[in-house]
Amino acid sequence: MRLIGLACALGGWVLAVSGLLVTSSNGGRLAFACGGIALSIFGILGVLNRYYLKRAIWKK
Amino acid sequence: MRGLKLKAQILLAVIGIGTLLSCAASVKAGALTDEDVSSIKGPDTSEIAAKGDPGAEMTGTANDVSVSDTSKGLSLADLVNQAGQNKIAINFVWTLITGFLVMFMQAGFALVETGLIRAKNANHTMMMNFMVYGLGLFAYYVCGFAIQMGGCAPIANLGGVYPLNHEFAINLFGKPWALFGTKGFFLSGTTYDVGVMVLFLFQMVFMDTTTTIVTGSCAERWKYSAFCVSSIGLGALIYPLFGNWAWGCGWLSQLGVNFGLGHGYCDFAGSGVVHAVGGITALAVAMQLGPRIGKFNKDGTPNAIPGHDIVLVLCGCFILAFGWFGFNPGSTLGASGNGCLRIGSVAVNTMLAGCTGSFGALLYMWIRYGKPDASMAGNGLLAGLVAITSPSGFVNPLASAVIGWIAGVLVCLAVEFFDRVPKLDDPVGAMSVHGVNGLWGVIAVGLFADGRSNYGGSWNGVSGGVKGLFYGDAGQLVAQLIGVATLVGIIFTLSFVWNWLVDVVVGQRSSAQAEMEGLDIPEMGALCYPDFQLKAE
Repeated sequence: MRLIGLACALGGWVLAVSGLLVTSSNGGRLAFACGGIALSIFGILGVLNRYYLKRAIWKK
Repeated sequence: MRGLKLKAQILLAVIGIGTLLSCAASVKAGALTDEDVSSIKGPDTSEIAAKGDPGAEMTGTANDVSVSDTSKGLSLADLVNQAGQNKIAINFVWTLITGFLVMFMQAGFALVETGLIRAKNANHTMMMNFMVYGLGLFAYYVCGFAIQMGGCAPIANLGGVYPLNHEFAINLFGKPWALFGTKGFFLSGTTYDVGVMVLFLFQMVFMDTTTTIVTGSCAERWKYSAFCVSSIGLGALIYPLFGNWAWGCGWLSQLGVNFGLGHGYCDFAGSGVVHAVGGITALAVAMQLGPRIGKFNKDGTPNAIPGHDIVLVLCGCFILAFGWFGFNPGSTLGASGNGCLRIGSVAVNTMLAGCTGSFGALLYMWIRYGKPDASMAGNGLLAGLVAITSPSGFVNPLASAVIGWIAGVLVCLAVEFFDRVPKLDDPVGAMSVHGVNGLWGVIAVGLFADGRSNYGGSWNGVSGGVKGLFYGDAGQLVAQLIGVATLVGIIFTLSFVWNWLVDVVVGQRSSAQAEMEGLDIPEMGALCYPDFQLKAE
């Protein structure tokens, strides 16, 4: 679970940077960058944090 | 008729040649020579010795210009060299003094964080803030500075810093991707250089700001030994890497040159490099540590755990606001030449954003909860300052006020969000103040930069002033968003993995019993307030 979360976080960066190579239009690159940021945030808060929340001290 | 025309042409030619000759003669007569300069004498020193100089009329004269050859006296070369040295001296003094101001911010952070936690953990929190200075400094001296700035030369404002001239880069997809510097480990070899020393001091205190941000989010439950190891990794590797990519001629700064994205990633004083890196690392560590005992109920609803001294908090905020006048205006790395006179504008922008940030937070809390919350007003001030750190050199005062206001509201929303949705415990709100608003500051450059700044004609190798989306350059916004993606993608991952290792080897979290007693005795061996009656859980 933790590795999947980290993979999403890193994948978001790869997606954002790949926009530089795939298209030369600012609109296209903007879309790639926003998509990449969203994927990274999902990996951090949606996957990684969920893993830790399942083991949270206040649930015990 | 034809003869008359010829005579007129000859007359005109004579007049023209005569004019040219007289101009040449006057230029020659006006040109300064070494003889002219050597005849300039300063006031009689015996007169100064006899009378003193209370009116400052005889101090700072030709007597004070260094002469290279005393047998020939003062020369033009002496004057030109003195002018160059004066420029660099002004810039050295400016950069050093602003660096000293930034160093004093450590005291501000210590007070804010200690005031916002419970009295039973005050010694522990204060000692984290105290030792993070030395731990970070040492790590940065050993290798952090070299990784960050080892390939940044030349920096004209500091005399070139030419020894910092090697950057490791790889070629991918036909473009160079500069990754880290390789000169300046232990400040040894050719980097034993006056300009390099000034740059090291200034960059070191910035790095220390980043490391001290993490201690706030992890307060009241972080094992002291884990804090020490974690901070060394941040100062030695994680911060310097992003610092290199943004400020050390790394790949982010070259997005403009290599991919035509505005002026590349622009971060004037470090909303991204300093604050977002600190805030995102705080997120990575706080997630692994988990919340403090008592922060959340069994149903997941959060409880407020108030700090023990609001006086410390607000005094700390004032110290930080004072230090920020070093942080942002000092980032010109000079006060003379290359557009550095913009320091006045940078300082006013800083002041305005801090002001509107505290307004924004104060009003939000007043409207939403019926009272003007003191700690959130302080956090609003800091949020405004964090957000303007990156744009301060590129935007106008009105934009600064807007950026600060948004930051003040954003910090309140972010604190509520982290408490209620991902249920991340952040005793001082560092993730919201530095992480969220650091990212907001980075994006704000891509929106509000007005293209009027001109630091020596270009920025990151692209000529002209930096312009954001509202002034016609969408590419600049893309460059800033790639910076944001790098922060949340790469920097978070590096911080998380490093602190995961620390957790495996050292263990990050203190025992439940120590946490409930308060960490002062179990971790530090002494109470901060031995005469106070402390409340255990």
